[in-house]
Amino acid sequence: MPRVDVAVIGAGLAGLTCAAELAERGASVFLAAKGMATTHWTHGGLDVGVAPDASTPREAARRLAAIAGHPYAALADDLEPAVTGHLERCAAAGLDYAGTLDAPLVPVPTAIGSLRPAAILPLAQAAALEPWGDDGLLLVGFRRYRDFWPAYAARNLEAGEWSGGPRRIAGVEVTLPGLEGLRNLNGQSLARLFDGATWRTAALRAIAAAIPAGTWRIGLPAVLGLLDHAQAHADAERILGARAFEIASLPPSVPGLRLFEALRGTIARAGGRIQIGFDVVSVERDGSRVAAIHTEAASRTLRIAADAFVLATGGIAGTGFRAGHDGTIRERVFGLAVTAPPRERWLAEWPLEPQPLEEAGIRTDANLVPAELENVRVIGTALAGMRYLDQRCGDGVALASAHRAAASLADVARAEVVA
Amino acid sequence: MTFRDAAVRDFPPFSTDACIKCNVCNTACPVARVTDAFPGPKYVGPQAQRFRGPGIGSHAPDHTVDWCSGCGICTRACPAGVLIAETNSRARATIVAERGSSLRNRLISDTDLLIRLGVPLAPLANFGLRNRFARWVGEKVLDVHRRGPLAPFARRTFTAWWRRRGGATTLPATPDPARTVVYFHGCAANGFEPDLGRDAVEILKRNGFTVIVPRQECCGLPFISNGLYDHARRKASTNLASLVDFARAGYRIVGTSTSCTHAIKAEYREMLDLADEDARVVADATWDICELLLDLHDRGELDTDFAALDEPLPYHAPCQLRSHGIGTPAMDLFALVPGLRAADSEHDCCGAAGTYGLKVERWQIAQDVGAPLFAKVRAAAADGATRAACDSETCRWQIEQSSGVPTVHPITILAESYRAASRAT
Repeated sequence: MPRVDVAVIGAGLAGLTCAAELAERGASVFLAAKGMATTHWTHGGLDVGVAPDASTPREAARRLAAIAGHPYAALADDLEPAVTGHLERCAAAGLDYAGTLDAPLVPVPTAIGSLRPAAILPLAQAAALEPWGDDGLLLVGFRRYRDFWPAYAARNLEAGEWSGGPRRIAGVEVTLPGLEGLRNLNGQSLARLFDGATWRTAALRAIAAAIPAGTWRIGLPAVLGLLDHAQAHADAERILGARAFEIASLPPSVPGLRLFEALRGTIARAGGRIQIGFDVVSVERDGSRVAAIHTEAASRTLRIAADAFVLATGGIAGTGFRAGHDGTIRERVFGLAVTAPPRERWLAEWPLEPQPLEEAGIRTDANLVPAELENVRVIGTALAGMRYLDQRCGDGVALASAHRAAASLADVARAEVVA
Repeated sequence: MTFRDAAVRDFPPFSTDACIKCNVCNTACPVARVTDAFPGPKYVGPQAQRFRGPGIGSHAPDHTVDWCSGCGICTRACPAGVLIAETNSRARATIVAERGSSLRNRLISDTDLLIRLGVPLAPLANFGLRNRFARWVGEKVLDVHRRGPLAPFARRTFTAWWRRRGGATTLPATPDPARTVVYFHGCAANGFEPDLGRDAVEILKRNGFTVIVPRQECCGLPFISNGLYDHARRKASTNLASLVDFARAGYRIVGTSTSCTHAIKAEYREMLDLADEDARVVADATWDICELLLDLHDRGELDTDFAALDEPLPYHAPCQLRSHGIGTPAMDLFALVPGLRAADSEHDCCGAAGTYGLKVERWQIAQDVGAPLFAKVRAAAADGATRAACDSETCRWQIEQSSGVPTVHPITILAESYRAASRAT
């Protein structure tokens, strides 16, 4: 395979974003991943961070940056251009967002009727960010669709604390046309039905007919179209005569699929290549530099030679690391050292508490270069020092680190061209 | 280090315990996307697998697995390394072994037989393939869809041409494995597209290779796809016996069908349990032709005297090629041809999946799977493209039939460019 400027390993938000930005900056890019990554499981919004007393994502990131060793400490200047770049990139691919780093973090409902803080969401989810005023919340589920139960979610929301929330919460289940004979109904198959304008109109009319009297904002499962999603959401608000917002439910996450496709398409249009399905099996090193990686293949291996390599393979949960029986943790591709708490402190007493092991990761310099290898950059949740589930900072760190890596590597490529 | 280590590739169902039920494979499946008949690779694969096995009986919850087209996209999408498509193929084979197979499936899988019958009778057979009444009868009698993409038979096979020109078929007296390759033509280049075989030989010779075409049969993939593993094993064993001496002597085996070469590289081992030393040596020696040419180029040994071909060219990377894990070498080679503006279709599957798109009850599914691709090819044609390119034969025939745009192997394009360069000098 011809040599490329940069090989990116990993196809999550960090890897896709870094590959997209590098390709946009004119670098030749090859993205290799052992499989699809977390975009398909997540809600599609941008979690930049939460922290006590922080009312916006920017404030939260600043508070998190004050924690010793947190990735944000080194990425303070990157967050703003990274988020702006991401929102512009997605918008250019037809996926618009609402919210900014300075928008208030407000509680939005989840599919099980809990609340999560959000400030930056895809447009189709954004009506949940607006002040509720006198609006009631009507959750609408679809008969035979098993991944969203409006009455259950409504009951949980009623029972919970929701300051500034709607005055009334109700759930209703609607029978959509033509689903009776279907055996395999999931978010994705519903979204494909919503891509068709004729069925969509009929379905939205059926929903409109089920809305009780009163002023409601409508919460729907996130299934309003995969390809034609912007129009589907606009049609929903028009036909329902109300603000409507999507709520992500169980995988397959339709908002995540839209995000993946927006970034994949951006990379392809900018001339980058993507190969998904083959793990890195060996690395050619030249002193403190990586000369090439080899990915598994049906026979032999594929040699990918590049000037620089971006490691975006995730942390413990993303299978970027492997723990040994002796309690050591190594990074899987390059064998980089992983900073982690001692084994006896890996796990908290209860599963839903913040887990110390989450902080395991790779320490880098300010340019995200690990100590062992000078032409490698580490981005995303492989970085040490954060608890991205608890701190809700995974997307922000992914974007900021991807931006930092792309900017530093594009500078290197340009300098070489000039030289 | 991965779950896809040697033991797992020898017996893919081992990998299903690594499934974390994340649904990613279901989002990637091109068949589940368009039909409710197939519940998706997760349900028929890692989930159903635990209900399969000796003693569980013939009523395992398996029948929907037969709607899988075998494209392999689920396996590549899986972040946990589960060999989903391979597991499902084995499940289908178990069903076929227990319940038998239709005459239709046995017939359309037996390409060697079809070529043996069809080539001598090519004028008549091709009239039948074009004749609407004959195709209607074929649909009613054999359940082969009247608009299923079937290529016309060649008037003379590639091997007949090779024999007549005295081409080598055995190990050379003076071994030169560095500059000699074994050509695995597959059924397409033999019985349907012999010009492709001749172009491949011409390109290999131009790059300094002596070509040997040893005795070979169908790779067996159509039988594998239809669950007829015993038939496939007979084909595979014949091929391995014929190829292993070349592989052991260090010769590379190069094919123009990414489907055949993938079968030899991976499916003999992962599906047919042919994991002995012979099979491994042959798999390790097998190359897709574009993979080989690009490898030459990486070493600075490819003749890059390509004449300009001033044309836009929509290119589709077939599923089987992607399962090789070799990138898209045709795109890299196209970049060497001045003026050629190749554009990747960025679509996952054409739908044909070998014999799947021929079957009367699956034809519409195959059409729906490939519809966005056909639209892209038609749009490229509206923008001036006169043809499309694709590495696997049944995909080419499907794209050509459903888009109306002639579709050729990348080798055809490269051979044209080489020939134009020769004429210019």
